[in-house]
Amino acid sequence: MTREKIDARGAFCPGPLMELIAKLKLVNVGDEIEILSSDKGSANDIPEWVKKVHHEMVGISQQDGYWSIVVRKAK
Amino acid sequence: MASNTLYILLCSGEHEKIQMAAMMASVAAVSERPVEVFVSMNAINAFAKGAPADKRYYGGAYSKLLKEKKAPDAMMLFQQGRELGDLKLWACSMALDVQGWELDKLEDGLFDDALGLTKFLSDAENGQFVTL
Repeated sequence: MTREKIDARGAFCPGPLMELIAKLKLVNVGDEIEILSSDKGSANDIPEWVKKVHHEMVGISQQDGYWSIVVRKAK
Repeated sequence: MASNTLYILLCSGEHEKIQMAAMMASVAAVSERPVEVFVSMNAINAFAKGAPADKRYYGGAYSKLLKEKKAPDAMMLFQQGRELGDLKLWACSMALDVQGWELDKLEDGLFDDALGLTKFLSDAENGQFVTL
């Protein structure tokens, strides 16, 4: 299992989601991606997307002015 | 044709409507929902090959804000939707005809083909239809 990081701070919806999905295509099942987003909409939307397409949320935490969202590729 | 397909008829050339169409199309496509977009009327101008950003996107009070905040570029969102999901774009054959354009006047790699409204409406009979 590896964990990759994407810094999408400063990008507006749906930019962070698109960056996450592009990266998910490149990693293996079981790998995790941590995406940093300063966009509140994306912090809400990314977990919704993960649920909809059946990947896994590992966690989400609010940092100083941004969110850290960790997703595991499930399929 | 799958009944959950989202059909978007984009005819306004206003920046905020093109942006909304691009957001809806790309997000739905990457959420495992097939999407087809039919681009007609003034909207076709935004897809002209090599158009500078200030010519491509204009109009509507939100345009200034979208540009200032560097919202994702609509053409790039359509492209990402195509790469990462099931998204088709059709150029209205009537809109091309009245401009005297062929498909090669439009951005490369975005459109599947030119299409008539009759065929688009027929395909869309069982899907969800949105007009912008």
